[in-house]
Amino acid sequence: MKTIATLLLLIYCYTGVYSQEQSFIKIPAGSYEVGLKGSVENPRRRITIKAFSIAATELTNAEFERFILATGYQTEAERFKDALVFEPGLEEFRWLDDSTAYWRYPNGVARGGITGKMNHPVTGISFTDALVYCKWAGVRLPTLEEWEIAARAGSATKYFKGVTAESISRYANIWQGRDHLQADSTDGFMYTAPVARFQPNPWGLYDVFGNVFEFCSGSLPRDKGRRVAHARGGSWWCSKNACNFYNAVDIGSVNPHASFSNLGFRVVKDAEGL
Amino acid sequence: MKQSLLLLLFYTCLFGAQAQDAAYQQPPKAAMAYREFRQKTTVPPYGLDNVKKQIAAIKDKPGESGDEGISALTDTVYQSLSLREKFTYAMIHPEMYAQNCDINMIHANEHKEIFGYLVSEGDEETWSSRQLDFLRSNRDSVMALIRESANRSRRMGVNYKNALVEIDGWEMIPYLIDFYTADKKDKDLLTVLMLLMKRGTFMPFIRSASHKRLYGIDGNHETALEYNSANEALIIARARAYYKERKPA
Repeated sequence: MKTIATLLLLIYCYTGVYSQEQSFIKIPAGSYEVGLKGSVENPRRRITIKAFSIAATELTNAEFERFILATGYQTEAERFKDALVFEPGLEEFRWLDDSTAYWRYPNGVARGGITGKMNHPVTGISFTDALVYCKWAGVRLPTLEEWEIAARAGSATKYFKGVTAESISRYANIWQGRDHLQADSTDGFMYTAPVARFQPNPWGLYDVFGNVFEFCSGSLPRDKGRRVAHARGGSWWCSKNACNFYNAVDIGSVNPHASFSNLGFRVVKDAEGL
Repeated sequence: MKQSLLLLLFYTCLFGAQAQDAAYQQPPKAAMAYREFRQKTTVPPYGLDNVKKQIAAIKDKPGESGDEGISALTDTVYQSLSLREKFTYAMIHPEMYAQNCDINMIHANEHKEIFGYLVSEGDEETWSSRQLDFLRSNRDSVMALIRESANRSRRMGVNYKNALVEIDGWEMIPYLIDFYTADKKDKDLLTVLMLLMKRGTFMPFIRSASHKRLYGIDGNHETALEYNSANEALIIARARAYYKERKPA
């Protein structure tokens, strides 16, 4: 009986922690360097931004669940049954369509749900879903530049200070296998990890590299006027051999309606809204 | 007058700097032109009118914006297409979303490189399982259609090249070499040759420095070789040897 009571208390505390308000890091207004010398699409340059506050962690399943319970919103994956899932054995960049997959089952019902993973980042949602969440929560997505400024934390390289291509596994949940034919849990996680499990950047942001790609607002010349979503920072799927986007320079592109189990987001508040 | 000129110069520098700060820099023109060339697809002529008609008739997913992502033909309509029409459909209407990083960043010297992988076809889409199954199960017909279409248009779009890699179209090697050497414009044909050798585990290629650089432990989807006549000749010679080894006596 005592054991059960202790267990219930532990579960309560665990859930309580992740249903609390997110903590935000304030980024002061000012002039910041973004891009990288030699990068064609994101060259080194200096930009001026207004102050903003960015969530220290990616948005969790627990936080997304509060939105769903409050609104009854159905995600695009639930409505259109077109989420993309991963399992080991697929060739590079191949995913499976799984009509059972959505945010509660990011890799489909057969591969398990989010029970016990409420502190993991929400995935299996589209850019469009993320915008609906932001509207409900009174927050917004970071712009491409805001995300980069927060992720770099003042560094002039493609990583934040202290990180190299060799040491990044201490800071990022990424794929360390040579390919995706075999499962890889070298860092303890094949899919997502709990937010803030890896070391933060110098400004206190967790998982800016790896875990899940984070949707940003903004467009690029390569969009050629089409409506395209962009997500940054790499994900648990990304390896050094395929999609080595776990850095502060590369910018991905995805259909705004696509739901993948490696796509999530973190939110931003304008400084005046604090 | 001198003052006005100085003032003009000052404002030109000021606004020039601001514009540079505000926008992503465009890649060099030659690199951009070559990237555009690499991304071009070929539209097959086979049953094109009917396929376009069927695609246009796809009922959009219900939504508010009228832009609800990729929509595919229903099974019934898809199965009613002939083999040639299914090929055309696959080439012009990939049915599945491509993941966020399934793109290749443009290189400043893109036009002077031979890449390890082809670029994605663009528009954040890729072939679905049923489209891939179709291409692989009908590989002889797919190769014949690609050859016929490429002969007609004298172009081989990235969709055709990707299809040849997906179906392991090694029988096309002599044709691809001839097609490339006709004008040496499309260096991605050399990429296809390397991908076919890689797929076939052709040991002289697997053991090569090129393979190590492009597909080895540190290679990734962005890696490229320098384009020069020595690399070009080596790729072609190895591909010929691979074809000779694989071709039934």
